[in-house]
Amino acid sequence: MNMEKVVTVTIGLKEGISDPEGKNIKKALSLLGFNEVTAVTVRKQYRIRMDVADDAEAEERTKAMAEQLLSNPVVHTYDISW
Amino acid sequence: MRTEDINVCILRIEGTNNEQEMYDAFKRLGAQPSLVHLNEFSTLEGFQCLMLPGGFSAGDYIRAGAIFASRIRSTFGDELSSFVKDGYPVGGICNGFQILVELGLLPGDGQGVTACLARNDSARFECRHTILKAVSPKSCAFTHLIPEGERLIIPSAHAEGKLLLSGGSQAALALEKAGQVLFKYVDEAGDENAGYPWNPNGSPNNIAGICNKKGNVFGMMPHPERTFFKGNEHGYSGKTFFESVLAYIGETF
Amino acid sequence: MAHVAEIDLNVPDAELARLSAETGTGLSVDELKTIRSYFAQEGRNPRDIELQALGQAWSEHCCYKSSKYYLKRYLFHLDAPQNLCVIKEDAGMVAFDDEHAYAVALESHNHPSAIEPYGGSATGIGGILRDVVCMGAQPIALVDPLFFAPPTTQRALVPKGVKHPKFIFSGVVDGIRDYGNRVGIPTVAGMTCFHPGYLGNCLVNVGCIGLVKRSDLIHSQVGGVGDLFVLAGGGTGRDGIHGVTFASKELADDSDTSSRSAVQVGDPITKEPLIHACLEANEKKLLTGLKDLGGGGLSCVVGEMALAGGFGARVDLDAVHLKEEGMEPWEIWVSESQERMMMSVRPEQLDEVLAIFKTWDVTAVVIGEVIAEKRLHIRWRGEEIYDMDLVFVTEGPMYQRPLKPVYRERIVPRYDEPDNYADTITALLRMPGIASKDWVIRQYDFEVRARTVAPSLTGRIARETHADAAIIQPLEGSKRGLAFTADVNPYLVALDPFWGAASAVDEAVRNIAAVGARAHSFADCLNFGNPEKPEKMWEVSQAIQGLAHVASKMGATFVSGNVSLYNEGPAGACPPTPTIMGIGMIEDVDTAVTVPFKQEGSTLYLVGATKDEMAASAYFRLRKIEGGDVPKVNPYLLSAAAGCLAELAGAEKIRSCHDISEGGLAVALAEMCLGSGIGADVRLTGTLRADVALFSESNTRWVCEVAPEHCPSFEEMLRSRSVPVQAIGRTDGTSLHIAYNGRELADMSADALYVIWQQPLWEIMG
Repeated sequence: MNMEKVVTVTIGLKEGISDPEGKNIKKALSLLGFNEVTAVTVRKQYRIRMDVADDAEAEERTKAMAEQLLSNPVVHTYDISW
Repeated sequence: MRTEDINVCILRIEGTNNEQEMYDAFKRLGAQPSLVHLNEFSTLEGFQCLMLPGGFSAGDYIRAGAIFASRIRSTFGDELSSFVKDGYPVGGICNGFQILVELGLLPGDGQGVTACLARNDSARFECRHTILKAVSPKSCAFTHLIPEGERLIIPSAHAEGKLLLSGGSQAALALEKAGQVLFKYVDEAGDENAGYPWNPNGSPNNIAGICNKKGNVFGMMPHPERTFFKGNEHGYSGKTFFESVLAYIGETF
Repeated sequence: MAHVAEIDLNVPDAELARLSAETGTGLSVDELKTIRSYFAQEGRNPRDIELQALGQAWSEHCCYKSSKYYLKRYLFHLDAPQNLCVIKEDAGMVAFDDEHAYAVALESHNHPSAIEPYGGSATGIGGILRDVVCMGAQPIALVDPLFFAPPTTQRALVPKGVKHPKFIFSGVVDGIRDYGNRVGIPTVAGMTCFHPGYLGNCLVNVGCIGLVKRSDLIHSQVGGVGDLFVLAGGGTGRDGIHGVTFASKELADDSDTSSRSAVQVGDPITKEPLIHACLEANEKKLLTGLKDLGGGGLSCVVGEMALAGGFGARVDLDAVHLKEEGMEPWEIWVSESQERMMMSVRPEQLDEVLAIFKTWDVTAVVIGEVIAEKRLHIRWRGEEIYDMDLVFVTEGPMYQRPLKPVYRERIVPRYDEPDNYADTITALLRMPGIASKDWVIRQYDFEVRARTVAPSLTGRIARETHADAAIIQPLEGSKRGLAFTADVNPYLVALDPFWGAASAVDEAVRNIAAVGARAHSFADCLNFGNPEKPEKMWEVSQAIQGLAHVASKMGATFVSGNVSLYNEGPAGACPPTPTIMGIGMIEDVDTAVTVPFKQEGSTLYLVGATKDEMAASAYFRLRKIEGGDVPKVNPYLLSAAAGCLAELAGAEKIRSCHDISEGGLAVALAEMCLGSGIGADVRLTGTLRADVALFSESNTRWVCEVAPEHCPSFEEMLRSRSVPVQAIGRTDGTSLHIAYNGRELADMSADALYVIWQQPLWEIMG
């Protein structure tokens, strides 16, 4: 293992799953006068530092992390970026 | 099997909060509960029941129940599968329900994770007394002593209690048809569609508690251990849940 | 490169003042001169770590230098047979039964919450929990008395450097919720009070009660020479440095940016296992002493623990587990990082203790040992960097500051009766101080641990009303319960600190009596302005005397408390606020009484005497009427009445009961209708004018609902103890109907009353 990689996994809600947190934030913004806001949705981002052999390994392992722990497939989507 | 010989494993990690009252419930009925920290856990051998209490295990970080579930999976995941297959009862209350969902044990058809306990529609922590109607209580080891249609007042306290199933409302209807929906939130008149705050989280079809097909894995969001003594007009209370599972074990093993 | 600096105090006064400001120690010029003389005798200059330690120990927050004199004179000598160990340690210990005791602690976290409300309130909860745990007690309940400027305050009125009260209010509630819910201790009681004077000076007081077997009670002092100091919990970092010195001075308009480092960061998921581990180690009798790290961090806890035992200490600063790099030794010493406890352990028991902490995944390290000489020595990187006499450090100065009384001119106001009483009652119910607080309460898990037999929201589901006191049944197999309430009316205290403080105690006692319990102990949190201003110091001294005036006759004393001074900032001083936490004992929780009406056909009584004491009443504030008389307290009447009600409740002769406070009799009656849907036909008679009769906030009064068969014995009991009692009507129908001297005043449906009362805070906060 001789490469350090930093991966970002972004978790979001699937289409059709309600986002009450996002709705609440939009309401709070309009109470402050930001009436131009039409929608807010919430994402969670995990930044992961790893020691791997190559990019392929990083991708494969990160996918496994996203599926086994970081997201619940019933309600979440996930996105991996570097 | 006699009640005084029944050993119950009440599992906890940092952030589990409701273990003491669960312990008390079993103790009062004459069984042998043990509080076991996951770091000291060795085996389910010798236990006839596994309970996952409520709380904020691991701070609810990442997702409620996700971390405790993954630590269980890596510590004794296989042993747990066999335990369930052998028909031993496994119960999760509130955070425990969230953990069982994350483990894929509820609704539990062996297809991995098929449900999620999502954020309440109000986006708030809701601490309220909720009225539950027993829909199919006879299907489950933890509820079979409760008559169908019986209404119980059981306290709820959660921020992530909205049960979402992969397959949406179709899946919810199928679950009900299969007798796996144990309780629904209702109002004082027994009406299922009374909305908030009678249903504190917005769970589609007002589902408050479910079990697996076999009926030995059970999860509900409200807390029966908090209403052990306060019964309804027919004498049914939180105590009945614990009596049910002890009776089930006594008859089965 | 971290190092220790030497500080030369042989300089002129102006230079000393500059030094104090630069080091952030908060020491006055006179105090620095005292320190200078001490070190002159020692034959050397102080090091920065020694000066910082003195700054912590001698701060107002830690040594109560301005208030000690009055507390000792009026309050501390009061005693009661149920008191076991009070005032001296971090929590008061009171007998629960022959085998058990309960711990009481009440603290403030005002300044940090004004800057960063979420972290400030969360760490307030964290701190108060530790005060109870360090007596070996399992926390069983949290209480949160909170004080904010009205959330509807116009933005333009909020000065620079001050956060908007809406932001503070929601941030504080979020912090208490997230911390309290995660550690799994129910927040069962509290109060939320709104007053414009809290703009920039919010008050976040937090209380905690715990239960312990008397044989497990442990003290905050070391056992003997050779005991090891074991530091457990979270790492030590730069969060919270100068927390106590920050709390001991006024807020400046740039406090929100300059004081950011003074804000502590809470971690309830570290705290929860820490509590389990400490209690387990204590129950297994592996500890000789236990104390929490609060104000001043290591700099206070080690010395205090050693000195309390009559010893000294030697510390190895390198052993302290850190969470940040490159910290200066003085920073390590005074840091107020959260979630840390200090234990003293015999060497032969160390391994067992460390094993327990390992199971719970909590860090525990040995950082020093107890020595015979009453001095404290610290070594760091091979050198001795601190060597001071412990008595000198820990005792701190005591001041008898100048007082300047402020007497109100007595104004007899002239005002007409309201045109429409129903409209007035509606307006009162909508005042944020009176309206439902369920917006707050439902965010807290108030039933975790399954021991809350009477929560603070009571009545029919989805239309609950406020309870007067919450009740916990802490012990498995015992019917005994503890009732909790938090009370004070700052509007009243501002007009008359003596009677305002006395009234706060009256309110606590009557809330306890209303649920059928007897006053058993109190705690006080005195939140005032700058004591160096004589008018403010006078308020403190008057309030303390007011507390003593009532408590001395109640058979229950102040067992613990806190003083928070310097609550002043760019917008002015906070209203003088002596918060009272009252704890009552009820022999059988099954006999507890609640607020909502229980059935039609009961007789309603007004217990106590109504007077024309309208000053600071919600009614006067609503109509912006100045003047009037402040409500006074007759402690003998209070004691007799409260005792009667507890006895009557125990004999199950009371169907429902509610104390009369903000909004007067009319609001109390409305609140009893709300939670049940049952109305009342009230026919009052009297010599006062109708609005005075309905809206006066005279002390020591209740409304009781009594079954007809119990009425004779109910009246007989009260009259035999000279407690005024008057039948005022009966429960009936679904509307509240009020007539006075034959004149119809109001007719309002219980359902409509619920909606009026329940909505306002939701409308404001969303």
